[in-house]
Amino acid sequence: MSAGGSIAERLRGQHVLVTGVTGFVGEALLHLMLSEVPGVRVTLLVRPKGSTPGTARIAKLLEKPIFAGCVEAAGGVEALMAARVAVLEGDLAAAPELPKGLDAVVHCAGDVSFDPPVDDGFRTNVVGTRELLARVREAGENIHYVHISTAYVAGRRRGSIPEGPVARAGDLEAELAWGLAQRQAIEDRSRGTDVLVAERKKAEREHSRAGALTAAAATEAARKAWVKDELVQAGAERARSLGWTDCYTFTKALGERVVEEHARTARASIVRPSIIESSLERPYPGWIEGFKMAEPLILAYGRGELPEFPAAADTIVDIVPIDHVVSAIVAVLAHPPEVGEAAYFHISSGERQPLTFHRLYVNMRAYFDKHPFKAGDQGATRLPEWRFPGAHAVERVLSTGERAYKVADYLVSHAPRSDRARELARKLELQRRRLEFLRRYLDIYAEYTQAELRFHDAHTLELYRSLSSEDQQTFAFDTAVIDWDVYLRDIHCPAVTEPIRKLDELRAARRRTATSGLKAVPQDKAAVAAFFDMDGTLLSSNVIETYLWVRLRELSGSQRVAELGRIASKVPSLVQAERRERSAFLRTVYREYEGARRDTLDEIADEHLSDHVLSRLSPAAVRRIRQHRDAGHRTVLITGAIRPLTRPLLPLFDHIEAAELAVDDRGVCTGYLSSSPLVGESRAAWMHSYAAEHGIDMAASFGYADSHSDLPLLAAVGNPVAVRPDVTLYRHARKAHWKIVDWQSSSSSSRTLDLAGGRS
Amino acid sequence: MSRPGFVLEVDDRTPPLLVHQGLGFRLEDSFPLGTRVVYPPESISCVPDVEEAIRDALLHPLGMDPLPELLFAGMKLTIAFDDISLPLPTMRAPDIRARIIEQVLTMAADAGVDDVELIGANALHRRMTPAELKHIVGERVFRSFFPQGKLYNHDAEDRDNLAHLGLTEKGEDIEINKRAAESDLLVYVNVNLVAMDGGHKSVPIGLASYASLKHHHNAHTMVQSRSFMDHKHSAMHQSAWRMGAVVRDAVKIFQIETTLDNNVFPKPYDFMMKREWEWSVKDQATMLGMRRGLSLAPAKVKHKLFHDLRSVYGLTGVNAGEVEAVHTKTLEKVHEQHLVEVQGQSDVLVMGVPYLGPYNVNSSMNPILATCMGLGYYFNSYLDQPVVRKGGAVILYHPLNEGFNQLHHPSYVDFYEEVLAESTDPAVVGAKYEQQFADDPWYRHLYRTSHAYHGVHPFYMWYWAAHAMDHVDDVIWVGGDRRVAARLGFRAATTLSDALEMASSTVGTSPSITYLHNPPHLLAHVR
Repeated sequence: MSAGGSIAERLRGQHVLVTGVTGFVGEALLHLMLSEVPGVRVTLLVRPKGSTPGTARIAKLLEKPIFAGCVEAAGGVEALMAARVAVLEGDLAAAPELPKGLDAVVHCAGDVSFDPPVDDGFRTNVVGTRELLARVREAGENIHYVHISTAYVAGRRRGSIPEGPVARAGDLEAELAWGLAQRQAIEDRSRGTDVLVAERKKAEREHSRAGALTAAAATEAARKAWVKDELVQAGAERARSLGWTDCYTFTKALGERVVEEHARTARASIVRPSIIESSLERPYPGWIEGFKMAEPLILAYGRGELPEFPAAADTIVDIVPIDHVVSAIVAVLAHPPEVGEAAYFHISSGERQPLTFHRLYVNMRAYFDKHPFKAGDQGATRLPEWRFPGAHAVERVLSTGERAYKVADYLVSHAPRSDRARELARKLELQRRRLEFLRRYLDIYAEYTQAELRFHDAHTLELYRSLSSEDQQTFAFDTAVIDWDVYLRDIHCPAVTEPIRKLDELRAARRRTATSGLKAVPQDKAAVAAFFDMDGTLLSSNVIETYLWVRLRELSGSQRVAELGRIASKVPSLVQAERRERSAFLRTVYREYEGARRDTLDEIADEHLSDHVLSRLSPAAVRRIRQHRDAGHRTVLITGAIRPLTRPLLPLFDHIEAAELAVDDRGVCTGYLSSSPLVGESRAAWMHSYAAEHGIDMAASFGYADSHSDLPLLAAVGNPVAVRPDVTLYRHARKAHWKIVDWQSSSSSSRTLDLAGGRS
Repeated sequence: MSRPGFVLEVDDRTPPLLVHQGLGFRLEDSFPLGTRVVYPPESISCVPDVEEAIRDALLHPLGMDPLPELLFAGMKLTIAFDDISLPLPTMRAPDIRARIIEQVLTMAADAGVDDVELIGANALHRRMTPAELKHIVGERVFRSFFPQGKLYNHDAEDRDNLAHLGLTEKGEDIEINKRAAESDLLVYVNVNLVAMDGGHKSVPIGLASYASLKHHHNAHTMVQSRSFMDHKHSAMHQSAWRMGAVVRDAVKIFQIETTLDNNVFPKPYDFMMKREWEWSVKDQATMLGMRRGLSLAPAKVKHKLFHDLRSVYGLTGVNAGEVEAVHTKTLEKVHEQHLVEVQGQSDVLVMGVPYLGPYNVNSSMNPILATCMGLGYYFNSYLDQPVVRKGGAVILYHPLNEGFNQLHHPSYVDFYEEVLAESTDPAVVGAKYEQQFADDPWYRHLYRTSHAYHGVHPFYMWYWAAHAMDHVDDVIWVGGDRRVAARLGFRAATTLSDALEMASSTVGTSPSITYLHNPPHLLAHVR
């Protein structure tokens, strides 16, 4: 590694292939080479994304502001690409043939997630590297291969880490074969009875009211989630059993082993940056793309959501700015090693300019004290004070929180429907997200926060010192120059928080202009239908079914008190039945009609029921129905109630689908229905057949309902609206971004069985 | 002999004064010194024998032959009567209308008349329930006529049962109930609670259709009705009188008008009709108990307490015969009972809106009705000129929190949510939305089959207040819900002092103030 010529001179006329240029490191590297190494031609291996070819992706990339200077100098994106930037379309999983005459290859691509599913980790970090190296060997003899790895391939080792190969553990081929096979294996296991039975039972407990298909869909979704989870778990566990922190560092280390094999017959350098964060100077201080490792922490702290941190105050957090990383890569590129052994370079700060968690915290706090996040219009967020009590204490707090959440969740899910229950559900949801966030980051970072690693960087430093003083200026990568206080307060934190602040502003603006309630119904669309549920949606009570038979007994002159007593004694079982399954509830109620004449029912309905129903109608609901009618939509009422009960609503609907009481030849009710009541999934099925019959576009249609059992009704249309939903539906609606409205009617404050039926 | 109404000037000896405020009342102790308080006259003397007085009126009508001579076998007789919007509060049974109808029917039976129908003249008001009809006509009449379908509500949307009687000289359509129009004799039984009622307002308005009503029930006419409690200066009444002249040629009307005394609050609530400084210990105890009870009671209980009140009115007069002759007599009695002389206008007019108005009997006083009650009925309770000067301020007491009765006032909710959200100008909303609400099939369906006010009715309520809105510059609701007041285009204040503070930008810091101490009803004759 003798000095001799500047970097630009050494690289003049060279042709370099770069992978992963759409990532953070790749983009910075491309920028550095285009702006500071004028003699280099690059070819970029880019995967098409969707229907966008690689060329278009690069053209788009070059339109970013940081490339403006290079683009201008070249006279436009196309000119720049024609002169210096070639694109090789292809995927690492099946790397295409490389162009002839390459001098070097920089492999930046990789899976940067810490917890990838195990097969993904192996595929990108091991198979991808192996494939690429095979192509490199095919492309020519003397190509310098630069591999971007990570300092954390050291895994769970402690103390000083040399710039050399990772101590061997495990058999590369065996691990690779195992890793790639895991998806199939876990998929198979997920279809076994032990997983399926457990998931099905859980789904049925939750969704039985909505119907079997809904429960089945939930089971399948849960199975898929289980597979993903299990794949992640498998990778993490295997990594730990071999001494690595997680699947990421494990597969990265195995990737290095592939490179080491290649290095026996070719030139290869391995660059191992530690935690890469925003740039110190180039292209401008604080340049960062996307979220890296430390940002979620900084943001969560600024939002007051990270009450404590599981690290020790004096543990070193090894951060390097991106511009140091890419400068080092370019320097490495210009100084290829000898064939036979890979050259290693740590790009880290811990050895010579250590940053402790405590210092990170102090600077973060100082920054947010000065520039707090505004939580809505409630002023600055209160910042937590970290005392670094140790991982165990933090874990204890977190698991207490999780247990409390479970209890609260159970209570809210079983609470009667009310505004308060919904509000609690909303707050709990927020709490759950916070807990999940904390749990995830605690689990991921736990390893790193414990890692008392010191990465040697003598080799890197030696390279740096061999550069001319101009090059040392242009390609700065001596991390000793970083002043952490300045970097964190004035460069990194502002850079990281800027997009969030913009987003907050946008959200606040949206909140200000947000109109509560629903958008006006579309006027210009034909073939639209609006499907309405009745009880609880249009009417305040959900026990309209009970009204008629109470009246019936009353009018027949039987002893009212005794009758009311008998009914009251049935209430608990009715409530039980309603909780379990809607149709069972309805059947229990309809048994009471046995022996009544249907004519009498119609008469009572007309004479007494109209007032009862009309006075309980929600005005907003009626307005909405009428708006649909005015817009020329079909209005449809779907109810499990029997037809006589829907008579007062007849003029509002084009079609009413109600239950029919079975009568014998004398016109006397048998106490049974002539067909099953339309509840749960049968509603969706009915809606689809109705839509087919009348040429209705379900995607443009509307659905309005209030309870969990109506999930299929709502899911069947393109515009679902949850009306004063119960907690389960409320949660679902929020998750699915359905509209939620609060259609009140005058006597909706209680949801009790109104046995007397509003006598006036 | 009862004492006439009078105007009190608040001085440092004046006790806190009772102000009605929806389902409750306030004892207001912060009326500035010098505030004029207008008290209605106490109840005037009643007829000694009600049955005899009725009989006498029927046998000695004004400008017409005695009723028995107008009745003959084989004739078509229709008896129309005022609906439950009169009197307020509802009269304790027996209702005066029942007693009159009984005598009319007895005479008809004596004459061998067997084609008799009874029609509630509810115009665009809600259909009365059977129980309400029964209360008005009495148990016996109800039993004999209702099951046969001979006792029913007028249906202003029943095209087959409306008769177009022509146009007035100003081109106004006259369309009334067909059965009434085609009868050999139409007997109209009214309760002339206030000066606005009766006369040609009975048949041409009570039995009319929307097509006919729209000629006088509109923003323009109402602004020109100064006041509508004074039929000679009311554009609405002038229109009704023009129609009456045409109707008179087509239909023989035997008008029976009754006048009541001011006995609106039954014991033990009669303290509300007394002058505060004359409250007995018992009155004070009742007042304190009621105040405490109301502050604790839930809205439903308060609603029931007030709406279950039935008044023990005394009959001060009954006159029958030709409409205008009868009405002249009637107004004499009404004025005797309600008129109070007030010298000159003031800058601020204060009124307490009570729990009840004509359109929320057995229902709720929604914000639109409260507005109509305050800025419509009470504001217009004047002769000659308004109590408040042009450009003055009106301060009303009502919480505006009762909400809407979805059974009775479905179109009101939409009027409030959609129309008032856009504009509160009576002329603007009328021009843009009235027709749409009037023709709405759902409202029409509810009006005809359920117990809903006609779709157009909330507009009428708003027109009722048009004269006041045009006349004053500031309307402030004491104790009113702020958001509701804002929707109505007004402001809300917590106390009278705050309201006066707010009004000071309109009327200055030491305005002259007049408080109309009603109910009981009063009619301020402002000189």
